[in-house]
Amino acid sequence: MKIKSKSDLAARRRIGAAKITPGTPRIAVGLATCGAAVGGDRIYERLHEIIQTGNLDILLTKVGCIGYCKEEPLVNITIPGKPLVILHRVNEADADTIIRAVLAGDVLDDKALCRIPAWDHVTGHTQQYGTGFDRIPLYADVPFFRHQKKVILRNAGLINPEDIDEYIAVGGYQAAFQALTGMTPEAVIDEVEKSGLRGRGGAGFPTGLKWRITRDAQADKKYIICNADEGDPGAYMNRNEMESDPHMLIEGMIIGAYAMGVDEGLIYIRAEYPLAIQRLKHAIREAREAGLLGKNIFGTTFCFDIEIAIGAGAFVCGESTALVASIEGKTGRPHPRPPRLTDIGGGLWGKPTDLNNVETWCNVPVIIKNGSGWYAQIGAHGNTGTKVFSLVGKVDRVGLVEVPLGTSLSTIVFDIGNGGAAQKKVKAVQTGGPSGGCIPVRLFDTPMDYESLNNAGSIMGSGGIVVMDEETNMVDIARYFINFATGESCGKCVPCREGLKHTLLLLNKILAGKGTKADLETLAILVDTIQATSLCGLGQTAPNPVLTTLAYFRDEYDALVRS
Amino acid sequence: MMPVGSTGMDAAKKPVTVIINGRRCRADAGERILSVAIREKIAIPHLCYEASLDPYGACRLCLVEVIKRGKNEMTTSCTLWATEGLDVVTDTPDIVKHRNILFELYLAQAPKSEIIKKMAAQYGVTKTRFFKKVNPADPLGNACILCGLCVRVCDEIMGAGAITFVNRGPYTVVNTPFSEVTRDCLGCGACAKVCPTGAIRIDDLEGERVMTSWSGTRVPLVQCRACGRFFAPQALAAKTLARLTPALAGDVAALCPECRGQQIAEREIRAKTGGAGNHA
Repeated sequence: MKIKSKSDLAARRRIGAAKITPGTPRIAVGLATCGAAVGGDRIYERLHEIIQTGNLDILLTKVGCIGYCKEEPLVNITIPGKPLVILHRVNEADADTIIRAVLAGDVLDDKALCRIPAWDHVTGHTQQYGTGFDRIPLYADVPFFRHQKKVILRNAGLINPEDIDEYIAVGGYQAAFQALTGMTPEAVIDEVEKSGLRGRGGAGFPTGLKWRITRDAQADKKYIICNADEGDPGAYMNRNEMESDPHMLIEGMIIGAYAMGVDEGLIYIRAEYPLAIQRLKHAIREAREAGLLGKNIFGTTFCFDIEIAIGAGAFVCGESTALVASIEGKTGRPHPRPPRLTDIGGGLWGKPTDLNNVETWCNVPVIIKNGSGWYAQIGAHGNTGTKVFSLVGKVDRVGLVEVPLGTSLSTIVFDIGNGGAAQKKVKAVQTGGPSGGCIPVRLFDTPMDYESLNNAGSIMGSGGIVVMDEETNMVDIARYFINFATGESCGKCVPCREGLKHTLLLLNKILAGKGTKADLETLAILVDTIQATSLCGLGQTAPNPVLTTLAYFRDEYDALVRS
Repeated sequence: MMPVGSTGMDAAKKPVTVIINGRRCRADAGERILSVAIREKIAIPHLCYEASLDPYGACRLCLVEVIKRGKNEMTTSCTLWATEGLDVVTDTPDIVKHRNILFELYLAQAPKSEIIKKMAAQYGVTKTRFFKKVNPADPLGNACILCGLCVRVCDEIMGAGAITFVNRGPYTVVNTPFSEVTRDCLGCGACAKVCPTGAIRIDDLEGERVMTSWSGTRVPLVQCRACGRFFAPQALAAKTLARLTPALAGDVAALCPECRGQQIAEREIRAKTGGAGNHA
């Protein structure tokens, strides 16, 4: 059934609500890639078997990931009238006892992580679950969750990502309806501009401005593209956003397409994300069936559809011009800008093209639904909204965290992450992946905003935070990232192709104890030139791990070289 | 590819004035600054630029600094479009510093290239601190610097696409697909003609051109029906003849340039003198 009116949308909300709180117990297994990797699939299969054979009145479903990777596999239990309870570190063998408890209207105490009596889905919908189970800690009292603010991940781990009704039930597609039926494209762009939203791919370019440039470009055809080529080592924010809540991305793109006057969109996604691809394809099908993609969306004159383009495993294809070359079937090599993608002759098939990161698109529905004023209050001046970070490496509580921009590194690493794993002392973090830099613990007051990170010699990047402890050799870390960047360099320009290779050779020599003071000087001069003269962002930022470790951990280099 | 936006097609060919090292130079709007500098005989080193090809920006040697609101911004002049009043300088201390490192990288990458050695020496760089790569089996004689001119001319100008980049990053090389003999090669030799380091080897044998650097691809040559000399690849000759009128094509087919000139001259003279050629 196509959704054409407010009442159609309300009808779908009721259908979805009956799936989230069905009147019978509901068991939901966290099955994003992270959950599946630690046995979530087997738990789901076992639960399914028990429910089938016993012909039990329990609704079993899949959800995405709420972000607490350390505690996975996670299983949500919803018993009518009771709070939603998240069980953690569940394994296959627990399935029988979980079901027995559920049938008795209870949950396993020793597996309970926390309870959620009510959940604010931010887009004007608060899901009431119920009361009771007071002995189980509240969600807001769990240290990992306490300092977070869920805006982008508002539905992640709570709704079934493979069911459009559940997304609609918690407030989904209202923003798109509102934009398409009640706002002019200009008003949508104004709203995004006023929100202060900046590109979440890493560079922080004002999204509203990019949209305006694309809208103003004179051309018979334009495109929008979602950059889902997330490739930084240790970064998986976008993966979880797509796996846990794919409709949020689609809704963001519908609103953007309407604002920019575009009828065709693409999601460029890396082949290494099979589950995200599968869920997106499913979600696109669902959205078409519901009349939210395709011709005459919501019964209006606006038409827009999305195709998926799958990458072939090159990090550099996250760079805008290489990404477009890759979609066009050419080798993924960047070309000099201008022309930019938004220029005539510069975008996909030569047409003006707007490219935004997954998380940027995901910010759009909530901005339209709640207004730019609401959004701009979150975060810091010039750095509004929240940002999802993947907190990984030698940190105690590994996971995906969402905090307002401007939150200090120390809050993220110590308050949320509980410091080093196995009680080791934290030494530094690497932000922004191979393009970022290492920030030492003495600078952990640094607020996570675009400018402060740049001042510290690093970048926001897409949001990876890799924690290093006292046992980490920082020169080795620099080598790791240079090795990555060398392998991912497209090979077009000399400083990146040749310069990074020699940087790697020098680091290998130094780490082998064969380096000299002169090698250190050569290293410093070389990375300076790579940064200053490379053609694209990959080469320009690839030296950051060396530059920052040289600046903050010079003693570790000195200890390795002969005088 | 045409420049766009504020320097776009509408403005192309409009005369503008740019300033290079304080000197005012005439240029067409949208012209590349390196092209202006070459015309004005302002020395800017470059390896991957060719006026007839799309801007590429890979060799990074043609760095200039653009003076914008009192601040200098480094960029490559082969990808910088001329706009009214654009103010650039060459050879600043920063440019020299970075360019010297780039020359050192080139010396390590193409240790056998005399042209690179000579060019680097002109800018005072005679040795490199970096590890020199020498591969005795390199079909390009350790002289290729991957500027891409051969690949681009083969594709963009000749439309053959017989060679391309293989692998990526530091493993990149230029070769035919799967390093095998290719039937796409016209044997035109444009690749060797544009190669800035003379790395590409082509050998003309009796009746055959051997693209030694391109997996030994062999291209048959056309024999001149007048003098018997082998002068052009057959595929290229056929392509060229197809663009002429049948009468003209018949006239010049299988004639080397010298014999063609001679025959046409003789015919013209005969026509003017009523058939009696008199050279006296």
